[in-house]
Amino acid sequence: MKKYILKRIGLALATLLLIIFVLFVLVRIMPGNPFPSERMSAEQIANKRAEMGLDDPILVQFGRYMMGLLHGDFGKGTSLYYGAPIKTVIATCISNSFRIGGLAIVMGTVVGLLLGITAALNKGHFLDHFCTVFSILGVCVPGYVFLIFLQYYFSYKISIFPYFFDGSRFLYSSILPAISLSLFTMSTVARFTRNEMVEVMDSDYVHLAESKGMYGAKLVTRHILRNALIPIVTVLAPLVVDLLTGALVIEKIYGINGIGKLMVDAIAGEGVDYNYVLALGILYSALYIGIMLVVDILYGVLDPRIRVSAKEGDA
Amino acid sequence: MKNLNRRSFLGAAGSAAALFLAACGGGSSDSGSSDAGADAAAPAGKYLGVMLGTNVMSLDTDLATDGDSFEVIADCIDGLMQMDADGAAVAGLAESYDLSDDGCTYTFHLRDAQWSNGTPVTANDFVFAWRRICQNAGEYAYMMDEIGNIKGAAAIIAGEQSDTTTLAVNATDDKTLVVELEVPVSFFPSLMYFPTFYPINEEFYTSLEDGTYGTSPDTFLSCGAFQLEDYLPGTASLSVKKNEGYWDAARIQLPGITYQVVGSSDSALTAFKNGSLDVVMISGSQVAAAEEDAELSQNLKVTGAGYMWYLSFSQTEKNAQGGMLANQNLRLAISNSLDRESLVDNYVMDGSLATYTAVPPQFAASATTGEDFSADQAKFDAFIGHHPEQAQTYLADAKKELGVDTFEFTMIYGNNEGDEVAKVAQAIKEQVEGNLEGVTINLQAMTKAERLDKMQNDNYDVALTRWGPDYADPMTYLGMWITNNSNNYGFWSNAEYDQIIADCTTGAYINDYDARWAALYDAETLVMQEAVIAPLYTKANANLISAGAQGIEFHPVALNRVYKSATLA
Amino acid sequence: MAEMTYQPTKEDFEFLTGRDITTDQNFASQSYWKGVAIHFLRDRRAMIGLGIVVVIIILAILGPILSPYGYRDIVSFTDETGKEVVAKGVSPQLGLGGDGPFADHMFLFGTDDLGRDLWTRTWQGARVSLIIAFVTIFIDMIIGMSYGLISGYFGGAVDNIMQRIVEVANSVPRLVIVSVLAIFMPKGMGLVIVALLLTEWIGMSKIARAEMLRIKEQEYVLASRTLGAHSMHIIFKQILPNTIGPIITQMMFSIPTAIFTEAFLSFVGVGIMLPQCSIGSLIESGFNNITTLPYQILPPIIVLALQMLGFNFIGDGFREALAPKLEDM
Repeated sequence: MKKYILKRIGLALATLLLIIFVLFVLVRIMPGNPFPSERMSAEQIANKRAEMGLDDPILVQFGRYMMGLLHGDFGKGTSLYYGAPIKTVIATCISNSFRIGGLAIVMGTVVGLLLGITAALNKGHFLDHFCTVFSILGVCVPGYVFLIFLQYYFSYKISIFPYFFDGSRFLYSSILPAISLSLFTMSTVARFTRNEMVEVMDSDYVHLAESKGMYGAKLVTRHILRNALIPIVTVLAPLVVDLLTGALVIEKIYGINGIGKLMVDAIAGEGVDYNYVLALGILYSALYIGIMLVVDILYGVLDPRIRVSAKEGDA
Repeated sequence: MKNLNRRSFLGAAGSAAALFLAACGGGSSDSGSSDAGADAAAPAGKYLGVMLGTNVMSLDTDLATDGDSFEVIADCIDGLMQMDADGAAVAGLAESYDLSDDGCTYTFHLRDAQWSNGTPVTANDFVFAWRRICQNAGEYAYMMDEIGNIKGAAAIIAGEQSDTTTLAVNATDDKTLVVELEVPVSFFPSLMYFPTFYPINEEFYTSLEDGTYGTSPDTFLSCGAFQLEDYLPGTASLSVKKNEGYWDAARIQLPGITYQVVGSSDSALTAFKNGSLDVVMISGSQVAAAEEDAELSQNLKVTGAGYMWYLSFSQTEKNAQGGMLANQNLRLAISNSLDRESLVDNYVMDGSLATYTAVPPQFAASATTGEDFSADQAKFDAFIGHHPEQAQTYLADAKKELGVDTFEFTMIYGNNEGDEVAKVAQAIKEQVEGNLEGVTINLQAMTKAERLDKMQNDNYDVALTRWGPDYADPMTYLGMWITNNSNNYGFWSNAEYDQIIADCTTGAYINDYDARWAALYDAETLVMQEAVIAPLYTKANANLISAGAQGIEFHPVALNRVYKSATLA
Repeated sequence: MAEMTYQPTKEDFEFLTGRDITTDQNFASQSYWKGVAIHFLRDRRAMIGLGIVVVIIILAILGPILSPYGYRDIVSFTDETGKEVVAKGVSPQLGLGGDGPFADHMFLFGTDDLGRDLWTRTWQGARVSLIIAFVTIFIDMIIGMSYGLISGYFGGAVDNIMQRIVEVANSVPRLVIVSVLAIFMPKGMGLVIVALLLTEWIGMSKIARAEMLRIKEQEYVLASRTLGAHSMHIIFKQILPNTIGPIITQMMFSIPTAIFTEAFLSFVGVGIMLPQCSIGSLIESGFNNITTLPYQILPPIIVLALQMLGFNFIGDGFREALAPKLEDM
């Protein structure tokens, strides 16, 4: 198992390197201009490009970029927050997005699991229908619409929450966006949990366990939930990445300086900021790969059969 | 219930209500006032809450390019001159200035002022900042050479001269700054309130790690009315507090300003009604809603935003079905098929002015007569206006001349340049297609960056674009249409026009103000006659300002909002 | 020397490739699908869902046709002073008369900021969104499912390589992909579909792979393999029907994702091109007036919510019908 994990980590790093290169090339063929300008002359822009080394062969540029990256240097913005080093800007945005996203994940998963389990255990009864409809609502209404209503009622009509995000009162001002963000996760988790649990509850081994007199919490957690969790982990993983990397519209409405908004500003703002797009892309990929790695390893923990086959496939 | 709520918020003028406001005024205003407003009961401690349309991109005068950044910089740093309530240049950090007889040498005499770290503001701070602008040759460097005509600037900006001391800006002593120009520039003093010409303390700047200037309150020095209190690059909210060491501190009434980036007109309106913000900008149906509301309508104030929206037509062969738009009649047909009044009344709705001149109204007044250059909007009625029949005649002529019966163009526009732009683009499509048979306009939305890129690479047919005045002279618009100007996106070329502009900038008219003024009018006539562009409207901002906030100065040029005389009850 | 015992060699065995091993299953599958249909039609919730979706599809087809207004027509007139008066921001009305210049016009859902009838635009938008969702989800299902099943079935090196490809494809932010794509094709519905195709199959493939990992060790798979069935036969004929439940559920979840993604793309300028509209772009523009003219955002949101409700109910019914349980028989 240890060897398998080490090998997976090595592979993940190799994948990351490949992704950085793909991103590097893609970003350079994106439409738009790294130095958008209505006032600079053509030669001024040419000088700026030369200064940034944008006219060198792409491999040379890539090598230079990787060298910088190894020293933790993402470069500077060309059209976005020009002066500041990218890592300081991103650090602030990450901390906001991670904290709100993390809150949303926890709320969404916990509530989703509870709803799903309740529904599955009461299959066909009122509670099942209630939980199902409740969780469907979460995928029917976009999170940002929900946030607008929350903001309207709880920040405007009755001022119990701040109208805009405020970094100095973090928890207090992230409740509304976190609730809105968590809706989709909650629904997804609830629906998958219910469906998987219903399927697992009908399987032979659960019937066997029941016939042996096992019931209640022990049956649910040890036999049903554990098997039902596998596909849930699969759907949850990309959701986690999405939540952590921020939700553009929600960040925009609530005035949060997070990485979702930063990404859109970098691509669709004043200009195409090569360095920001790259830095955020790398961040996103690293997160994604990291979480997928965890999921793969989790599979092994959750389902011994996969562990065995992974070992065999590995040998 | 709703009304009652609103009334109590709007009654904030009374100090009792202000207390109520401070207690529940929402996060953004509180965060800023953490030290000044520790005592929430003192109404004087409340910061003014102001909406920003976009994030502040940079506080470095060399790098900032957007109005919001300029506004915050101008809160914190003064120029040699400052704007008075009417937009005229009055003494700022310079107590006075002398102008040589040939009009080419300005000698500024600085007053005693100090940076927020206690060091005095000296003439060298200007020399350092201006040299840096020229050396880095960024977006606004052109203010130094093309506009300001400062001797030596052009060569440094073009990269031909690496020795920045050749810039003819010198400190003869700590309090005297001498600037030499290539040619007399009549509006030079009014350039001095533009942030590009602000000072930076050299000693402080060089003591910082590279690239960190202006990225936090610790790495930024102010010598203006306010000093930076809370700021991070990329932040959605920031605050400035009163600078007690400001040379004119007695005039500054506000304890501070909290800025909040607001994404939509609708949340701006709600944030205003809720009392979270004191100054917001709204547009579209929010303006209509505010106008209908008895109380909100009293808070509504329309101010000029300066920039003019217009249609740019690519006249080169590779675009528009092989250069169809090079045909003057076709351009005139499009321009005359548009109902600009309907555009501003029905779609823009924020008090913007329908515009029928190549130089928009209300920003460039004659120095001798005081009359606005474009006060008379009907003067080009022969070439532009809502004339559907006339437009059809032009179109018939164009069809005959080009031998084509149908035209299909793509119109590009930016979708991150304001809510109203997409509406205007769709309305233009309907108006043109409705009035001109055989003309089809396809819309392509893209980011502003991509739009600019397409225009600069001459890869478009028609573009919905805008230009804002950088200084109060018609040349900021008319200078664009000379052959090979980088903003002449249509690639129109006219020798007569080029000559007039050359005479006005460096030639015959530079010492004769009225003759120059008249010549600029001739130049504008040429642009309109040939429909080089189709002016649409001059943007205004519809502001909501809370009853307690008084004395904020609004300008269409350079600095949109100035808070030096503002008070908040 | 002991008596020579015959040692079987590899050559003595051959896979039963020529034999028609589908005979059994054909018979079984016929009654299986028949059972599914019966089960599905008996499911009340699934029927409600189907009803909602059918009604929306009919309205999306007929709504714009039957409306007196075109989806891009601005309703306006020129008054006696020569000013154009546009019917913008009119709240829902039956047009029975009353005050105001447009009192005799029927606007069931009101009008938008440009004075266009929202009833027409809502159904036009529903039409565009449904086309986008169906086309992408159908293609994505085929690509994602095949990819995930193959990857999961073979495991080992194949799985490793295929999963790395997924990681690369999934790690490039969608905005970057779409921006680059926009260089090669004109913006509009086509670009949205291709953009969704490139990114949405991944979720499907993950589900399929996870299901495959779960199922492939089961006895019947081993039995098939021993009987000499092709890998492809096992994957697509034997395992696939057993994975269809989660995949259909995933499809139902993919529809809102497709519609929301479309809205997001419109938001950053690579989605549907105006004056064409989609449910997403209608929500986007209604969002700008959500407190001042709330009726503008309600129709697209309600249509979207009903669509989702419908698809979810159908998905549930389908899923349960496909995997009949003892208790149901």
